[in-house]
Amino acid sequence: MIQTFITSFKLKNTYRVNSIIYSIKGFPIINKILPNSLYKNKALKIFGNIISILWEIVSTFLWKGLYVWLVLGSMTFAYNTNQVNTFLHIFVFSTLIGGILNTYLLNPTKDKYYAIILMNMNANTFALTNYFYSMLKLIIGLMPFTIIFGLLLKVPLLICISMPLFVAMIKIIVIGIFSIPDFKKNKVVKNENLPTKKVWILLAALAILGFGLPYLGIVINQIIYIVLFLISIILGIIALKEIIAFKDYKKIYKVLLTNENVYAVQNANSTQNIRANIAKNIEYDGEITSDKSGFAYFHELFVKRHSKLLTKSVKKQTMVIILIFIILFIVVFINPSMKEGLNSIPLTYLPYFVFIMYILNRGTTITQAMFMNCDHSMLTYRIYRTPKIILGVFKERLKTLITLNLLPSVAIELGLMILLYITGGTNNMLNYLILFVSINAMSIFFSVHYLVMYYLLQPYNINTEVKSSTYPVVQAITYFICYYMINIRMTTFVFGIATIIFSILYSLISLILVYKLAPKTFKIRI
Amino acid sequence: MKLIIKNLKKNFDKKEVLKNINFEFEKGKIYGLLGRNGAGKTTLFNCLNEDLPIDDGEFFLKDKEVRKIEAEDIGYVLSTPNVPEFLTGREFLKFFIEINKDRIKDEKTIDEYFDFMKIEKEDRDKLLKDYSHGMKNKMQMLVNIIANPSILLFDEPLTSLDIVVQEEMKQMLKSIKKDHIIIFSTHIMELALDLCDEIVILNKGILEKIDKNDLDNTKFKDKIIEALKEE
Repeated sequence: MIQTFITSFKLKNTYRVNSIIYSIKGFPIINKILPNSLYKNKALKIFGNIISILWEIVSTFLWKGLYVWLVLGSMTFAYNTNQVNTFLHIFVFSTLIGGILNTYLLNPTKDKYYAIILMNMNANTFALTNYFYSMLKLIIGLMPFTIIFGLLLKVPLLICISMPLFVAMIKIIVIGIFSIPDFKKNKVVKNENLPTKKVWILLAALAILGFGLPYLGIVINQIIYIVLFLISIILGIIALKEIIAFKDYKKIYKVLLTNENVYAVQNANSTQNIRANIAKNIEYDGEITSDKSGFAYFHELFVKRHSKLLTKSVKKQTMVIILIFIILFIVVFINPSMKEGLNSIPLTYLPYFVFIMYILNRGTTITQAMFMNCDHSMLTYRIYRTPKIILGVFKERLKTLITLNLLPSVAIELGLMILLYITGGTNNMLNYLILFVSINAMSIFFSVHYLVMYYLLQPYNINTEVKSSTYPVVQAITYFICYYMINIRMTTFVFGIATIIFSILYSLISLILVYKLAPKTFKIRI
Repeated sequence: MKLIIKNLKKNFDKKEVLKNINFEFEKGKIYGLLGRNGAGKTTLFNCLNEDLPIDDGEFFLKDKEVRKIEAEDIGYVLSTPNVPEFLTGREFLKFFIEINKDRIKDEKTIDEYFDFMKIEKEDRDKLLKDYSHGMKNKMQMLVNIIANPSILLFDEPLTSLDIVVQEEMKQMLKSIKKDHIIIFSTHIMELALDLCDEIVILNKGILEKIDKNDLDNTKFKDKIIEALKEE
């Protein structure tokens, strides 16, 4: 039994360490320096194992601490009810929710999939040893925090100690009283990561009872908690017997550990899934056609057949922006004292709009659609990669991207100009012009930026997997720079002119780079 | 016309996948490229198609004079067909004909091309995303042939096709071979022997021709397997 546990623990460590090495090797320069033999480097493996064990210890406490602090601790103070009772009330209901959502034993995780399905380990021993280890980790990890936070709130010590046991018992009851008998009877086992409608309704009801009732002044008290705890112990013991006596974990895991279940979360975000979703967005009614020729024809058909995907959210964004400005205008008319404050938005908050324009820009989604539904196949044809075609299609795409993104930016700049005018205007009339040009410049900058990055760093391979680490790094840097702009306070006159000059220079330089490099860089990654 | 490869080398880390490739492929012949799994057949194609940078050596076309291989000179057909799913078969062909206008000799109508590839009338105006695997494969081959490249690389293109389509494609390849240098990678020995004029094996990073001489098919097969087994 112990041997099985040790083997499964080693297995988990091995793929944790390998995953770390794999991610590191994804970076372009590091990739060249580090050899493939890295995976068998003993020192690195030992180092990886130490990190992995440290992570095991940290994770034992970290999430539980955050849970007690954020969910129980902070929410307790949100109500006007007795703090001890509220603490226990929220704890009981969130424990019930947690018991349904994460049982550990029937959570279709990769470590179970590798060990039981791929490596054919003894399922009963694996299940029970790992389950008891998880329960032990849960109790040890949770107890310090229930004691510390509980005592701070003046919850009696014995109750504080009982709380982690209650959590473990609820998880055990869910398995032993519900899941295993259900499997015995119906041969079904539900993936707890993909709850059914009924389960969602039950979870919502528990959440309402847990977090809603205290608003009405209704909370459980210590006696109710103690009764619930005692019931959980009795039922828990019955359930535990069932769990230990059950000998068909192999069967249960064969049903549970399917590729769809194990990779459910991963699949939802996988490029294959995104590709399938984007493919669904192709619109065709036979009448959509084009009278252009060559790559202009090709691109126009792409745009027309993806018009919803390309324009839907841009239109929505524009509507929301118009609505926000209409509300602001109404506020100004109803309450003229707000004028002064609102006047500062167009005059000093322009840097903030860099972040807004970043959020609004559809560059990532559009280039993703371009790859998934078009370039993924076309780049396999050498003729499509000739400079003439690449740059021809690039030009058409740039025009489309700029036009699409200009729609919300025109709404913003007109809104800002009107807002500036009705809130008292400005001494420098140039500010109107600068607002108009700089917002457009930002929008064009982001359109150019995303398309140029796509052409220079094309990150996908033939299986639509992201194979470039540089691309996400550039995306992250873009995000942080734009986010940093929120903190800058500068007059529209200065920042606007700087933005316009920067956007023009950036666009020129990047377009030159695309013309020089894209015929070499724009290809499927191998 | 010849495709000449000289001293081509390609390594992945320390592994020498293509050690020292020296070979001349001639126009008018179909070359069957055989090799064990991981021998480097696809790597060789990727190098010739400039999808992968080579570590050493060169390859070029020699007709009356020697010249560098341009993008327009190569058609590369992958085992998994990739076609732009938002276009209909007809639109895809129209686009390819337009961008290759200067290179197409004796341009035919789109329907003539469809007829040549045995694509049914009712399928021609359907979106490519609704095409079957075999039909996508035919479209992929067709656009590569329309472009009229000097070199055609086929990476196991017939493996997943049904036997009727396989036969159609074999006949089609035989009918166009006189104008092209065709290199055809496959795992299916019978297909290679039936379709190809020359058998070339890639083993331990070296490319070598296996002469049939006067051997019958069974003995020739044994000879190829022996060559592939060689350490």
